[in-house]
Amino acid sequence: MIEIENLSVGYDAPVLDRLSATIDEGELCLVIGPTGSGKSTLLGAISARVPHLTGGRVAGRVRIDGRDTRQHRPRDLADLVGVVGQDPAATFTTDVVEDELAFTMEQLGVPEPLMRRRLEDVLDLLDLAELRRRPLATLSGGQAQRVAIGAVLTAQPRVLVLDEPTSALDPAAAEDVLAALARLVHDAGVTVVLAEHRLERVVGFADRVISLTPTPDGATAAVGAPAEVLARAAVAPPVTRLGRLAGWEPLPLTVRDARRAAGDLRTRLGSAVVPRTPAPGEELLRADRLRVTYGSVVAVRDVDLSVPAGQILALTGRNGAGKSSLLWALAGALPPTAGRVRAGGRVALVPQSPEDLLFRLTVVAECAAADPPGESGATRTLLDELAPGVPGEVNPRDLSEGQRLALALAVQLAPGATVLLLDEPTRGLDYGAKARLAEVLIGLRDAGHAVVVASHDVEFLAQVAGRIVQLADGQVVTDGPARTVLTDSALTAPQVARVLAPVPLLSVAEVAAALAGR
Amino acid sequence: MTTLAAEHNDSLRSTGHPLAWWAWAAGCAVAASRVGNPVVLVLLLLAVVLVALARRPAGPWHRALEAGLLLGAVVVLVRTGFYLLLGLPDSSPVLVTLPTIELPAWFSNVSLLGEVHVAGLVQAAVAGLALAVLIVTVGAVNAVASPRRALRSLPASLHHLGSAAVIAVSAAPQLLTAARRVRRAQRLRGQPARGLRGLAATLIPVLAGALDQALDLAASMDSRGYARAQRGGSRLVGAALVIALLAAAAGGYGLLAATGATTLSAVLLAGGVLLAVGASVLASRSVRRTRYRAEPWGWPETVITTCGVLAAATAWVGVILDPAGLGPWRLSTGWPGLPLLALGILAAAAVPAFLPDREGR
Amino acid sequence: MTAEQGWSATSPWRAGRAVPVGLRLGLVLGAVSLVGLLAFGWPLLIAPGSVLASATTAPLVLGVVLAAALVVTLVAVSDGGLDVRAVAMLGLLSAVGALVRPIGSGTGGVETVFVLLVLGGRVFGAGFGFLLGVTTMVASALLTGGVGPWLPYQMLAAGWVGLGAGLLPERIGARRLHGVAELVLLAAYGAIASVLFGVVMNLSFWPFLAGTGTAISFVAGAPVVENLGRFLAYSVVTSLPWDLLRALTTVVGIGLFGHAVLVTLRRAARRAVFIEQ
Repeated sequence: MIEIENLSVGYDAPVLDRLSATIDEGELCLVIGPTGSGKSTLLGAISARVPHLTGGRVAGRVRIDGRDTRQHRPRDLADLVGVVGQDPAATFTTDVVEDELAFTMEQLGVPEPLMRRRLEDVLDLLDLAELRRRPLATLSGGQAQRVAIGAVLTAQPRVLVLDEPTSALDPAAAEDVLAALARLVHDAGVTVVLAEHRLERVVGFADRVISLTPTPDGATAAVGAPAEVLARAAVAPPVTRLGRLAGWEPLPLTVRDARRAAGDLRTRLGSAVVPRTPAPGEELLRADRLRVTYGSVVAVRDVDLSVPAGQILALTGRNGAGKSSLLWALAGALPPTAGRVRAGGRVALVPQSPEDLLFRLTVVAECAAADPPGESGATRTLLDELAPGVPGEVNPRDLSEGQRLALALAVQLAPGATVLLLDEPTRGLDYGAKARLAEVLIGLRDAGHAVVVASHDVEFLAQVAGRIVQLADGQVVTDGPARTVLTDSALTAPQVARVLAPVPLLSVAEVAAALAGR
Repeated sequence: MTTLAAEHNDSLRSTGHPLAWWAWAAGCAVAASRVGNPVVLVLLLLAVVLVALARRPAGPWHRALEAGLLLGAVVVLVRTGFYLLLGLPDSSPVLVTLPTIELPAWFSNVSLLGEVHVAGLVQAAVAGLALAVLIVTVGAVNAVASPRRALRSLPASLHHLGSAAVIAVSAAPQLLTAARRVRRAQRLRGQPARGLRGLAATLIPVLAGALDQALDLAASMDSRGYARAQRGGSRLVGAALVIALLAAAAGGYGLLAATGATTLSAVLLAGGVLLAVGASVLASRSVRRTRYRAEPWGWPETVITTCGVLAAATAWVGVILDPAGLGPWRLSTGWPGLPLLALGILAAAAVPAFLPDREGR
Repeated sequence: MTAEQGWSATSPWRAGRAVPVGLRLGLVLGAVSLVGLLAFGWPLLIAPGSVLASATTAPLVLGVVLAAALVVTLVAVSDGGLDVRAVAMLGLLSAVGALVRPIGSGTGGVETVFVLLVLGGRVFGAGFGFLLGVTTMVASALLTGGVGPWLPYQMLAAGWVGLGAGLLPERIGARRLHGVAELVLLAAYGAIASVLFGVVMNLSFWPFLAGTGTAISFVAGAPVVENLGRFLAYSVVTSLPWDLLRALTTVVGIGLFGHAVLVTLRRAARRAVFIEQ
């Protein structure tokens, strides 16, 4: 279906280096690699956006069902290749669900009776019938992403290209979207090419993996069956890394495979010493009977919370449970309806989209503006500690997600904050960037800061959190040590904990330490 | 959020094809600018307001009528205000004498305030009323048939610019949300949220976000087959369009010239329109595109359009047949009556109030 | 095939203008501007016996002619084929314009939208600037319910502002304009454009608002100089203070935000491959 021969792509610097791969009809092919390794460029080359829309130099050849992308612009492939991006809202061209679904068919000149029939089919397939007349602006993230997928499916493409379709979604919405994709592959025989950061969710469905490794001459690719490629790939889900550590053969891809192979490891780890988190210090932030309401909606309901120095506290809960409202109220940026917040020092908040904090044209200007009086250069020094090698003369928007987050952190921390609040900081970060963020947060904790992280990402929380507070409907439902809370539930626990239960280890690093310490 | 929900309900019902409503409004506007009888003008205003009240759907456009009424009142006040300030003397009795202010001669030999004559004042108010009817009509049609729906009915030859307008209108609420989010975030940094600096701190991230979104959107539209079947423009169409424009310019100039040129300019304008429509049809053919649930044209649309045409025609002919009753009215001729023909205009303007909405889209 | 051969086998992608103004678009823009001159300047051109001598009909009839001419222009632009990136960019920039317009008019005549039109025209070129003016006014009217007889006039006047900004010279003599010199040029242009915009908008609706019975009213068919004198008096009384304030705020706006907005727009133009890397 998709033949890629010796594809090289370069803009100012080379991005892809002589990449060859074949993807057969009806396969789900996963494209993995760290940020900046050219995943988007590869997907762009398959949808003919590279070079027709992006410019750049291209050599080699990509053919989709025999159509060469050199002669075919993206619009000439519209009936064959459907493309779904990261942010569905950015790709909507109309304002009502039905119109959006019909857009592609209108452009292709599909006659109206056929258009209506296909639209009904897609509404059923993706379970969108309820939403058909809803304005797009009122949809939740998961619904919007399903509409975006539906909008390309109405043209009945035989290839679907998705660039991190779940990176902006919470876990439930991401499951929705991935379940819809799995159904498409199995029932409709659509060929799917998918780039995704959180491999643990998708690697189970994949038939083929293309793993990109950046080199100075552009990224090179390893192509093959999932288990075989992941054995060597730089990025892999926690179960696979656990398998590598334990030397399992074949390498497990899902919790189920790993659990069956892990009997021996569990006994070896049975007496493992659980690493202790350092004892927290004095209280730095305190909320008493805190209540936040928007009109008649109560977002935060009488929450009592005490955050001590030297602790990383994680706020969890589904979307709309009140995590963000609580953070904003704790930061003093949202006046509470009742109750009070007391802080022993400056409280800094990094919101969900850190770029909102940044508006200057270069990193240097942004740093200079954040320097506290009399300490010029302080922000830049802090930034270099958090993320070494961020270029100075670049627009903050052109940085990678991880670098931008580091810049926002530096800007917020520079004026001497003692409490740091982060809202969904791992959105769009790859494994490497998440690991660096974990190091940074642990460093801040050890330096005596109090850190509060609102996040859905249990794998990340397993690495950093000392205490977990779960919110539901604006109220605290659970408040306890992270290890206990995270291993409590078999469904939401991190992968390593699910494989090793009842051994209370949460991450591959902990397992490695336990094995080494024995 | 409430307006979005209202619009959601709105999309289930339809007041009719927007073009029909604009034809009706144009008819009423012609009538209002033709008729000089203040009683007829007031009744026409009431008829238009009646239609808007009866037919406007709930939605964000709902308030366009009130805005029109307010603006109309302002225009009447401005017109009379200008007369009070700068009015020229006439032969009618003086109503009141205000202190005169002479402007310096080097500026212009105009005096402010001074004597206020009854006829001039009433004249100014009536002329203002005619304008107010016009403005209220525009408000009414905006309230009844949201011009956004008209975007769905644009011909294929306006494909690109129509798409740009649809994108703009759909993206605006998103950008507003983004702007609020950015302002909130900027406050976290302790930036001054007010003043020009605050504006820059909000504007630049929103602008940069919008531009990034534009590129994503362009890529998505391209991958979804936007303008796929379009071939490059044809010479014939281009030449026809340029000639049509030149004909419009010449025709417009002819209209401004002395009476003799009227026929010639009418011919030129009509020829230009024909040429442009022909070229547009030809250009539409080069865009192969279908419409999902195009706005239908049924008997209510025909009735609405006919009402507009009738109102305009009756007013136009009426002024010629009965210049005393419908034409420009002077205070000296006494209290204005309500001629029979005026009832025709009013009936035509008001009938659309009693037509049913269409269920579904 | 080695990589080296590969690079040379496919030529590098060429950058293009957002909306190239060729002979055809140039002619169309010229012709529509001619219609616009008539529509705006009619009070000075009209002969005493004309059918349009009545103060209220002329702006309406000419408004219809102008609207039709604008539609024809847009058909011509569409028929030439518009780059999809230009369409999306037009859509989003006019949404931004439509949103900043009310912000401006609330705070003492600050026409923020002019800043965007001038800078957008400068970065994306004359053709795009014209279309940006037109679509911004349409979007603004659609969003605020302000569709009326004044819309065609606003569309064309705003289109001229963007068009003119796109026609400003890239270099003076051998020196390429950038930095402060470029901002000074744009601010000066912005000031002139603001005043002219106000004056021409005022001109076409002058008889409409001032009526006929006052000392500053127009007299159909009177000599141009005489009408011009009355019009100037009318302008001074009504809108000139606003126009001057708008010019001032446009200058201040370009001075304050100009650099940042230019950099932001140029970054987008580079990413869209509208300008050379």
